[in-house]
Amino acid sequence: MGALVGIARLIAVVNASLLFAGRWLGAACIGFMVAFILAQVFFRYVLGNALAWPEEASRFLMLWSAGLMIGTAWRRGGLVAIDMLAILLPRMIRHILTLALLGLSMLILWKGLQIGLKEVTGISGRFATDSLSVPVSLDLSEWKKIPKAWMMSSMVVGLGMMLAVGVELMLREVITLLGGADDLPAISETVSLGNE
Amino acid sequence: MLSFFLPLFLVFLFLGLPVFFGLLAAPGLLLWAAGMERDVTLLYRNVYNGMDSFPLMAIPFFMLAGELMNRSGITMRLVEFSQALIGHLRGGLAHVNVMSSMLFAGLSGSAVADVSALGSMLIPAMEKQGYKKKFAAAITAASAIIGPIIPPSGIMIIYAYVMGESVAALFLAGIVPGIMIGGGLMLVIWLMADKYDLPRATRKATWGERGKASLHAFWPLLTPVIILGGILGGVMTPTEAAAVAAGYALFVAIFILRSMTWRDIPDVLVRSGITSAVVLLLVGAAMAFKTVAALARTPEQMAGFFLTLSDNPLVLLVLLNLLLFIVGMFLDAGPAIIILGPILGPVFLELGVHPVHFAIIMAVNLTVGLLTPPMGLVLFVTSSVSGLKVETISKAILPFLAVEVVVIFLLTYIPALTLTIPRLFGFIN
Repeated sequence: MGALVGIARLIAVVNASLLFAGRWLGAACIGFMVAFILAQVFFRYVLGNALAWPEEASRFLMLWSAGLMIGTAWRRGGLVAIDMLAILLPRMIRHILTLALLGLSMLILWKGLQIGLKEVTGISGRFATDSLSVPVSLDLSEWKKIPKAWMMSSMVVGLGMMLAVGVELMLREVITLLGGADDLPAISETVSLGNE
Repeated sequence: MLSFFLPLFLVFLFLGLPVFFGLLAAPGLLLWAAGMERDVTLLYRNVYNGMDSFPLMAIPFFMLAGELMNRSGITMRLVEFSQALIGHLRGGLAHVNVMSSMLFAGLSGSAVADVSALGSMLIPAMEKQGYKKKFAAAITAASAIIGPIIPPSGIMIIYAYVMGESVAALFLAGIVPGIMIGGGLMLVIWLMADKYDLPRATRKATWGERGKASLHAFWPLLTPVIILGGILGGVMTPTEAAAVAAGYALFVAIFILRSMTWRDIPDVLVRSGITSAVVLLLVGAAMAFKTVAALARTPEQMAGFFLTLSDNPLVLLVLLNLLLFIVGMFLDAGPAIIILGPILGPVFLELGVHPVHFAIIMAVNLTVGLLTPPMGLVLFVTSSVSGLKVETISKAILPFLAVEVVVIFLLTYIPALTLTIPRLFGFIN
C-alpha cells in the first residue's frame, strides 16, 4: 500500500505540474483568440481591409486551449456524467464499477492517441494551413506555411494529458478501494492558475 | 451490428461513464468488434473536424464574457436597476429577482452563472426582508433558467452548430419564450403575494433614483444590444459578436467600473477555458455520434417507433415533451441537446415541425430540466448558494415549475410564439 501511495503521490505531482502549465498556455490561447477576432472585426469594418489569418489562427488557438485544459477538467470531475447509479451502490461495488469505467475511458483514450499520432505524422498532417506562416529567417524575410500537423497535435496532446490523468484517477481508485484514501493528496476543486 | 450503438450508449450512460467517452465508446467498440478499423479512424476525424469550427468559437467567447460580467460586479448594478423600477411592489424583491435574471440572461446565457451571481446576493437580501428562505431560493432557481433561453445562449449555439441551423434565428426565437417564463413567474409571485403576505418595500424609488440606477446599469445593459445588434444588423457573425462582447465586458470591468484589475484576468480566462474545453470536446464527440447515427439509420428507426405510438403530430409532441422532461431530470441541457438533437430532430422535421420551433421546444424543455431532481444542476447550485437542502427547494419550486411547464406546452402548440420574431427579421421563411 505504501508503495502504491508513493507512486500515486508522484503521478499527482507530475500531473499537477503538467496541468498547471497547460492552464497557463490555454489561458493565453483564449486571450489571443479574443484579440485576433477583435483585430479581424476592427480591420474589416473600421479600416475596410479584411485580414486573412485571424480566423484560422483563432481556430488553431481554440483547439490548443481545449487540448491543454481538458485534462484539468477531467481531473476535477468536470466531465458530464450521470453518477446516480454509483451513489446507490454499496461502497465496494461502486469502486469496482468506477474502476471499470475508468478502464474503458483509458481504452478509448489510448486508441484515440494511436490514431491521433498516425494522423499527425501521416499525409493529412503534412498539408499546409491556408493562411498561417512562421518566419524561418532572423530578418523575417523568409516565411514558411505552418503544416496542419501543428494544429492536429492539439488533440494528441489533449488525449495524452487525459491518459496521464486517467492513470492517476485509476490508481487513486485502487488505493481508495484498498482503504488508503486518507493518504492520498487532495485534488483541489478550485479552478485557478495557482491552485492544484 | 451498428444499430446497437444507441442501446449500448444508454447502458454506458446509466452506468456513469462520462458522456464524452460514452459518445465514442458505444460506436467505437462496435466498429472495432466488427473489424471496421478504418471507420474507427473516421470517428476520430469526425471528433477533430467537429471541434475545428469557427462558429463554435462563439462558445468560449460567450463563456468568457459571462465570467467577466459575473466577476466585475455588473450583477449588482442590474439588481439595483430592477429594484428602482419594480422593487416597491408587494413581493418586490421576488419580482426584482426575476427581472434581474431576465436582464442577466441578455449578458451571460448560462443558468448556473445566473444562480451563482444573483443567488448569493438576492437570497440573503430577501431573507432579511422577511421572505422565507426556501421561497427566495426557489424563485432564484426558477428564474435562473431564463439565462440560456433569452439570447445570447450557449445551448442555442451548440444546437445551431450540431443541427446546422442559424444561430441568429435561434437567438431571436428565444426572446418570447424567455419573456413568457419571466412574465409567468411574476404572475405567480403576484398571485402569491397576498396569500402569503409577501413583504413590500418601504418606499417607492424617486424618478431621480431611477435615473441614477439606469445610468449605473447603462454599460452592462448595452451588451445585449451590441451582440444582437451586431448579428442582426449583418455587421458581425455570432462568433465575432461573442468576441466583441468579451472585449467589451473586459473594457467595462477594467476601465469603466474599475471593479477588476489585470491580475484577475488569468483566472477568468482559465475558468472559461476549462468549461469551454469540456463543451468543445462534447460537441466534437457529438458530431462523430451524429455521423454514426445517420449511418445506422437511427432517425428512421426512431421515426418508425414514434409512428407506432401515434400518427398524430400533436400527440407525438406531447410524448416528445415527456421524453425531454424525463431526460432533463438526469442530464444537463447541453449534453442532452447534443445527444438527442441528431436522433429526434430528423423525426419531427419529417412530421412537419419547423426546425427552429423544434429547437426551442428542446432548449426550453431541457433547460427547465435543470430544476428537476435527481440531477437538476441549477437545484444543486441553488442548494449550495442558499445552504438549503435540495429536497426543500424542490418542493418550494413546484408553483414556479408548473408555470414553466405551461409555457412549454404553449410554445409547443403555438409555433407563432417562437417563429414570429425570426420571421419578422427574415431569418426564416
